This record gives sequence, C-alpha cells and structure tokens, in this order.
Amino acid sequence: MFQRPSPNIALSQQDNSHVSPDEVETVVGPSVHVEGDFSSEGNILVKGMVSGNVQTSRLLTVESGAKITANVKAGNAVISGEIKGNVRVSDRLELTETARISGDISCVILAVEPGALIVGKVSMEGMTPEKKRTTKSRRRLTKLVDDTDDDTNMEDEFSEEDSIDA
Amino acid sequence: MYIYLYDNFLRQKKYESQMKAIENRLTDFGIAGKILRLQRFANPEVIIEDEIKRGATAVIIVGNDATFGHILSRAARCDVIFGFLPIGQQNDIANVLGIPVGEDACDVLSKRRKVFLDVGWFNNRYFVSQLHIPFSPITIEYDEKFRVSSQSGLMELVVCNLQPFIWRGNKGDEFVVHPQDGKLEAFIRPMKKVGLFRKQYEDPSVFPFEEMVVKSTTPFEVEADGKQSKETKITIRLAKSRINMIVGKDRKF
Repeated sequence: MFQRPSPNIALSQQDNSHVSPDEVETVVGPSVHVEGDFSSEGNILVKGMVSGNVQTSRLLTVESGAKITANVKAGNAVISGEIKGNVRVSDRLELTETARISGDISCVILAVEPGALIVGKVSMEGMTPEKKRTTKSRRRLTKLVDDTDDDTNMEDEFSEEDSIDA
Repeated sequence: MYIYLYDNFLRQKKYESQMKAIENRLTDFGIAGKILRLQRFANPEVIIEDEIKRGATAVIIVGNDATFGHILSRAARCDVIFGFLPIGQQNDIANVLGIPVGEDACDVLSKRRKVFLDVGWFNNRYFVSQLHIPFSPITIEYDEKFRVSSQSGLMELVVCNLQPFIWRGNKGDEFVVHPQDGKLEAFIRPMKKVGLFRKQYEDPSVFPFEEMVVKSTTPFEVEADGKQSKETKITIRLAKSRINMIVGKDRKF
C-alpha cells in the first residue's frame, strides 16, 4: 500500500497555501475538528474547524472554508476563512476577499482585499500611543509652564529678599 | 570495547564480501570488536546489558532499518553509546543520521561524533523509527490541552521520529512525512469516503507534540517499529535525549 519514501522530498508537493510547506509546522487539515486551546511556537495553517483559542508567535494562515470560533492571537496572520472572536496580531494582518471576521481586530499593519467582511472594532496600535503622547505632552507642557512661572516668581522673591538683606 | 550486533539476514552469501571488507576496514581503524549474531527471538536488551557488564563501551547495530528499530526499541534504556552500520536495502534511517550505506559507514564510526537522540515512548515501550495506527475510529488528545476528531470518524495516525513515511493522496500524489529535528510529530489523515475501488482521503494534518492520548471505544491496531498490538487507549510521549548515538556530519537534524 505504501511505497518506501525518500526523505529529501517536502511534506506536501501540491500545497497551494500562502506558506511554503517547509515553513508550516502545525496543519489542521480539512474535516478535522480541534476542540480546546490550541497554541504553537511555529507557523499554524488552519484548513478545518477550531473551537478554542488559537495562539502562535509566528504566522497564522486560515484558509478559505476554515472556521475558528474563539479568540486568535498571532505574530502575523493571513485570513481567508471565518473567525468568530477577537483577532489580536502583533505585526501584520492580511484579510483576503473570502475573509469573514466577527470580532474586534487589533494589529499594527492591516491589509484588506475588497470583499472581506469585518463586524467589529478595528484598532491599530500605531495610532494609540501618539494620542496619549499628545495629551500627555500637553499636560507636561502646561506643568512645565506653571513650574517655570513659579521658578521665575521664586527667583523674583529671592532677588527681592536679597536686595532687602543687602 | 566495541560490540557488533549482526542481523540474521547478513548470513546470506550476497553480503559475504561486503562484510569482509567492512571487518577489514574496522580492523584498520582499530575499532574491531566482538561480533554477536542476533537470533529471531533474542532479547537485545539482555544481550547488551551482559556485554556492558563485561566492559562494552559501544554497541554497533549492523543491518537495516528493521534491525535498528528492533534493537533500540528494547535497548534504549541501556547506558552505552550506540552506532549503526547500514547494510543492504531499506536503509532510510541511515540517511537521516548522515551515515552512508556499506563500507563508508566505518569512517563515520571511527570519528565518533555523538548526539543524544529523542525517542518515542508508548505503553511501557520505546519506539525509535515510527508508530502507525491504520484507519480506526479514534480521538486524539494533545498535551491535555486540545482534542482532535474527524467528521467522518475514521482516522489514520503516524507518529514519526526518525524513519520517514509516505502517504498516497487521492490523485496519486504523494505526501512524504519526513523526520524533523528529533521532536515527535503526529500526522493524521481522516478518511473522506470508501469508494467502489479505492478509499478517498483528506489532506493530512500535522501536530508537533510532547504527549498525546489516543482513545477508542473499539480496539485499534498499533504498529510500532514493526511490532503489532491491539489497544483501546495509548499514551505516546517523547523521551528526550534517551539514546547516545554516533552520527555523521551530513545528518538531517
């Protein structure tokens, strides 16, 4: 039934996914159902169904027809399937035309192809610190101005006192 | 002192000249030692333990993949350096270990480049090359975190450690399950449907793991290093750095 193999051939020769087969470490095949929290240190390729949190520090690829029902956390992500849950990507998130996401998205770089559906809040981490900085810097500026005013007043007072002593 | 464990098939006349050439080469390198011929029902663990007591420092397996699996699955807990001299057909493990087949393997042995290898462990027994469960109604639980099941119910499972394995797809395409960097990897393929002339399969799934539990309500067949048994529940674990092995420079991990 099985032939003798040669170890130099790659795992899958006819894989049409975005990632080359050698880079993929975990593959959830079609018609396979994974229940529970699913985490990996390497790349994850999802072609089937996952009911539970998915977590990786590297690339997550969700193929068309695949479904994830829980929160997703990844370093980079290419989504072509359906996700019902929040998606948190620390770098680049790519949504293809078949992507369907029902949940909040947070990422640094977002690429969306026409046809992708998002129901939820999108927050880009690159924008939030600037707002905080502006408000903080304004506060700091006002404080500094107040401090300098106080200092000048103090200096004036000292000079007055010195002049009185003299 | 070196101990050479010869497989029984090396008695055949066609290997006679090759064996003589190898023995001469080993003598030239100064690593010739005691030769023991394995019989069909001999327990390699007992033989190796006896030889360790008599002062053996290295045990060299002489044969093919089957010999390698047969000896190491039983003798993995022996505290000795293992080596491998691949001879004849069916030598895929040698390629992974970077050991050339035949006389050139003596050069690798003489250099004594040692690496600790991980092995698989299931139901009180080690497996070195691979574990195979043919299509059965099984569910798999990984590292007590998540459970994998198939919609059709029937799944085939292969856990590869050192020996590569090949799967044939529906369109005649081949999926080669090749060994990685010493960690255990489980390859699962669900069955789509049973056709009139052949079965149709889904694309395989791959999960690296350290511990997995395979369960079924009905007994399923398990084949590990060529030995078959029937089980209803098995726990497969990774035994890290269990075997101290002499390997070649061109090893694949």
